[in-house]
Amino acid sequence: MLNISGVEKQFGSNKVLKGIDLNIKKGDVVVLLGPSGSGKTTLLRTINFFERADKGQLIFNNEAIDMSKASGKEIYNVRQKTAFVFQNYGLFHHKTALENVIEGLIIGRKVPRNQAIKEAKEALDTLGLSDKYNHYPVSLSGGQQQRVAIARAFVLKPEIILFDEPTSSLDPELVGEVLTAMKLLADKGTTMLVVTHEISFAKEVATKAIFMDKGVILEEGIPNEMLTHPKVERTKQFLKRVIPEEFIYNI
Amino acid sequence: MNEYFDSTYLINAFPELLNFLSVTLFITILACLLGTILGFLIMLTKLSKYRILQILGNLYTTIMRCTPSIVLLFLVYYGLPACAEIININLHDVHTGVFVVVTFTIQFAAIISEVMRSAYLSIDSNQYEAGVSVGMTKFQTYKRIIIPQAIVIAIPNFANALLELLKEGSLAYTIGFIDMVGKANLIVESNFNAHALEIYLALGLIYWLLSIIIEYSFTKIESYFNQGKKSTIAY
Amino acid sequence: MALDIEFLIRTFFVAASGVPIALLVTIIALLISIPISFLLALTQINEIFIFKQVSRVYVSFVRGTPIIVQIFIIYNSIPLMLKKTFNQLGYEFNIESIHPVWYAIIIFTFNTTAILIEVFRSSLQTIDQTQSEAGYSVGLTKYEVYRRIIIPQILVSALPNLSTATINLIKATSLGYAISLHEITLKAKVAANLGYNYLEAYIDVFLVYLIVCSLVEYGYKRLEIILTRHKQKEGVHIA
Repeated sequence: MLNISGVEKQFGSNKVLKGIDLNIKKGDVVVLLGPSGSGKTTLLRTINFFERADKGQLIFNNEAIDMSKASGKEIYNVRQKTAFVFQNYGLFHHKTALENVIEGLIIGRKVPRNQAIKEAKEALDTLGLSDKYNHYPVSLSGGQQQRVAIARAFVLKPEIILFDEPTSSLDPELVGEVLTAMKLLADKGTTMLVVTHEISFAKEVATKAIFMDKGVILEEGIPNEMLTHPKVERTKQFLKRVIPEEFIYNI
Repeated sequence: MNEYFDSTYLINAFPELLNFLSVTLFITILACLLGTILGFLIMLTKLSKYRILQILGNLYTTIMRCTPSIVLLFLVYYGLPACAEIININLHDVHTGVFVVVTFTIQFAAIISEVMRSAYLSIDSNQYEAGVSVGMTKFQTYKRIIIPQAIVIAIPNFANALLELLKEGSLAYTIGFIDMVGKANLIVESNFNAHALEIYLALGLIYWLLSIIIEYSFTKIESYFNQGKKSTIAY
Repeated sequence: MALDIEFLIRTFFVAASGVPIALLVTIIALLISIPISFLLALTQINEIFIFKQVSRVYVSFVRGTPIIVQIFIIYNSIPLMLKKTFNQLGYEFNIESIHPVWYAIIIFTFNTTAILIEVFRSSLQTIDQTQSEAGYSVGLTKYEVYRRIIIPQILVSALPNLSTATINLIKATSLGYAISLHEITLKAKVAANLGYNYLEAYIDVFLVYLIVCSLVEYGYKRLEIILTRHKQKEGVHIA
């Protein structure tokens, strides 16, 4: 469904992406792991054209787009079929939780208002936010804000949701509720590409794990296998640093 | 010269001066509206990706910031007809009010362009990204997400700029325009310069009250829009 | 109507000859205003009752009325008060003999002090509480905390606003004509009266203010760079 190949990106003299290929099928939950500065967030942002890749091709639903030359129309079309969850939530500060969720439905997807409200409420209910419809973002905890953001992405019924370190800004005790929300989405068959440091999520939910460092993909495979028996030395070192003791089986 | 202070002059001056309040307000509001439009265009040049437009926009603001209102008034008053003459347009019989509005429009525009620019820049870039990520167009994102938030941020500075405009407008009398200040001077002249203090005190009190009302209204407007930030729940 | 270039050039220097008096008034007004306004700002922050109320009304009046009206009021009330005082003391005093520069200093000090109260008040509010606590924790007295910790930081954070206030003050001296102070604008205007060359005269005045203000702005920018070196170094480390 989503296929990218040969993605390169340079910031000044710093080459962040050095030719990335990636293939995601419908229903996949792919986690992108790697140390900070490995280029994983940049990769995610090039897919949604928040960053313009210098080189690369994006094939989305059999439609090929040159990532360095995509037109405004092409970018708009990609964004119409994807959704994005930000590290710092990215909720519209001047709109309530419910308004945040219906905004994209009504304006972006042209869904009638009544139906949009109905769908938005369902999504918020599912994620345990039924009492927060009319709260503004400032009055919500980080975990609640991120769940609203996830609801906002989910109601759009996108072909794929891109998650950019969705739990990195959260206090440790709030991480769980967001991961649960993401798991719920995965169970509903949502295609997801997730940049994260949460190894537990990778192990329990993901169908595929990818390890990236210094702008290249070093290793990819089934999460459980890759996390327990990494083939590459650098993956091993990375996992040693991020995995809590109890998860280390036989590295 | 004044020999003593007589409060009856002060009290009698109020109704006479207030007759010209509408003139003062009309000039202020007109310059505010036109200046906001022009200021928006100047802000666009400052945010433009073309270096030359940025330089021109910033130069305009610097020049306006460095020019005293009275100097700008006279430059417009004498300069505009002189320029118009070159292309054979006669502006010598135009009402002085036009020059007053032009002067304060171009001055207000410079200030307001800065107010708008800083409000725009204070909006986190992830608001734009969030907007387009849910499938809105650029235009929709600006209209529904960026601009509504920027306006709220701009309110206090806008109010300050408006107060400055009201006060600077008091210099319109120097080119012979009759507003409240012009009227005050006429009253003083008709008294052969006696009791000037009482008249000017009345004038000062009117301006003071006007400023307080404007400031208070904008505080109200701001707190209305900021409800979302302060109270927890809408509706 | 063609510009009289010869007059334009000649009058530029006439206008420029008003710069010293404009700067003199500006500098004296600033030197008097800065310490007074700082103290009054402290009374507002520390909620010292009478001072706080009075200075609030004072600030509100100055911010709420045009400078020209303040000039009219002060220029007309000082002679009235002086006359009364001297009469009571039994002195003969010629009010007309007071040089306009004294009026100018009084008026602009009165105005600038109020503006600077607001400037210092907002800077005082931005200073982190922990700064003074840190000062006390190493054994400084209240006076020492203000002198060595608070004031240096406030001056830096107030600098951009101080720059704006200075520019506005210089611009406000253009109203000196109302008290017959022979500064930039009035000098040029007098020169223009002879041949009705007003446009040329005001172009000159415009250029003089542009030059003076640009220099002042540049000076403040340099000062800010010098005073904020410690912050910049930190910035380099982070980057």
